[in-house]
Amino acid sequence: MAKAEGLTWTVDDADHMTQAEIYGEVLTQLALKNEKIVAMTADLATSTKIGKFQAKIPERFFDFGIAEANMVAVASGIAETGLIPVISTFAVFASLRAAEFVRTDLCYQKRNVKIIGTHSGTSFGQAGTTHHCTEDLAVMRSFANMVVIAPADARETAKAVEAVLGWDGPCYIRIGRGFEPPLHKDLDFDFEIGKAIELRDGHDVTVIACGVTVLHAMEAAARAAANGVSVRVLDMHTIKPIDEAAVLKAVADTRRIITAEDHSVVGGLGSAVADVIARSGKGCAFRKLGYQDEFSIVGYPEDLLHHYKIDADGILEAIAEVVRAEFEQDENWEDED
Amino acid sequence: MADHTQELRARIFLRSALPLVKVVAEERPRYRKLLFKANGVVQFTASDSEQAAWIELGDGTIDVKQGLHPNPSITVKFKTLRDLNTFFAGGTALPSLKRLAGIPSLLRVVPFLLKLKVLMPNAVPTDPAGKALKVKMLLYMVSNALSQLNKGGDETMVKLVKNSPDRIFQWTVEGGGPAAYLRMRGGQTKAGRGTYTRRRPYVHMIFPDIEGAFDVLTQKVGTVDAVRYNKLRMEGAMEGGKEVGLLMQRVEALTTGA
Repeated sequence: MAKAEGLTWTVDDADHMTQAEIYGEVLTQLALKNEKIVAMTADLATSTKIGKFQAKIPERFFDFGIAEANMVAVASGIAETGLIPVISTFAVFASLRAAEFVRTDLCYQKRNVKIIGTHSGTSFGQAGTTHHCTEDLAVMRSFANMVVIAPADARETAKAVEAVLGWDGPCYIRIGRGFEPPLHKDLDFDFEIGKAIELRDGHDVTVIACGVTVLHAMEAAARAAANGVSVRVLDMHTIKPIDEAAVLKAVADTRRIITAEDHSVVGGLGSAVADVIARSGKGCAFRKLGYQDEFSIVGYPEDLLHHYKIDADGILEAIAEVVRAEFEQDENWEDED
Repeated sequence: MADHTQELRARIFLRSALPLVKVVAEERPRYRKLLFKANGVVQFTASDSEQAAWIELGDGTIDVKQGLHPNPSITVKFKTLRDLNTFFAGGTALPSLKRLAGIPSLLRVVPFLLKLKVLMPNAVPTDPAGKALKVKMLLYMVSNALSQLNKGGDETMVKLVKNSPDRIFQWTVEGGGPAAYLRMRGGQTKAGRGTYTRRRPYVHMIFPDIEGAFDVLTQKVGTVDAVRYNKLRMEGAMEGGKEVGLLMQRVEALTTGA
């Protein structure tokens, strides 16, 4: 088995699924204190790590087999009784296969159901394009009443799980698969749904990232600083409701914005940020990093992030580009006298 | 041809300092009266340089343009650019005068030129109005002069600006006082008056009042003490503050000939 090192991980590290493991652990601990919490999966208890819940509290665990839509429908009904169902399956199945049920049975009814979509983006690497999920943020974000969260690492995932259980309404958390390197050194940080975390202040460019790309944005910012470019990094863990104030402040302060996500550039974080900027009427140089309206190829996750320029190298390249970008049509370099 | 340093000095005098005669006219009614029914063009030039500027008087108004006027009322011509710089630095350098019919125009301009001496370090007004004028003129001149360093090819400034992201260096005197800024990006610079509103400054030097600004800009107090005694507040990138501080010293060295 390959050993993950530094900023990389491999799909072979099935025993190092820290992000998923943490959420499984936290969910179980919370469920031991709150009897309303029930867990559900669709034949993926082990892979999604919700199996931890099954081992500790089997009477509140339900495996529906390969029947995601059915699982969502049942969750909706159970939620009506006052219980809090937490569904866990691969992101691609939760957001695409079961989409109509999520929309109509959960969001339309505003049911208090939580969905944990694992193996999102291209984190499933060699499992291939069919198991990659680069559309879930777009789909889930488009459903009214839905909260959409993409935590940056395991510790943030733990806080996100706790936060959604305190939120009345449907929520979707997307996480990766493997040994995503830790961003936060400990749990000593504030996490609030809809409130971005400013990890690093900067004056020249702002990188707004979510999920696994946040750590890469931090690495890129550190490397850019060595070249004299000051980069702000926002961990935009909540895609919906997005932190409009943080986006607008970034536009006002730096006027150059890059979004980075392990997701299609259509409909995800970049689109959410673009919506905010467009509504504000403020001009800025803007780049969306992600999958550029294409299906992802097959490979190791770290190679795919590099290929699609959403790792530290790619973000650094975008920083260099956006710093030079022209965006004001009325540029006038005559001194006032 | 004049050497590069003299060209740079002249650039600052002609493009950053000389235009401040307009500020004098705006701020001092007594000087505005000198412009009553005044019409004419006073040209400044030097034999060994293409740099030149003229002052245009237009019955109550005064303006400054760069280059050679096609038909000046009078031409104040120096043998060398060094002499022109000495003249504008307040030293002694005698020019030749051409078209003596324009002497009345020159006489109207001289008080304005003398008032520009307020920019020099040894000019220390003590009255509030004098301090306010000096602060305003210094802010306008320094921001413009920094831009001239880049446009005139000052090696340090050009290197700084060449690879610079879009950055604003802002100076503000609070309480309705004057403000000026320098914008730089990718080799280009622009000096402007007032507050740049399209993005947050990279470095913002904020003076609480005219008195504080006066003490800092005339180096009556150093930057560290100014911050300690609330005469100056720095916002933004501290390392940028150091950069601009050094460049402001460079401007002063050029204008004083130190």
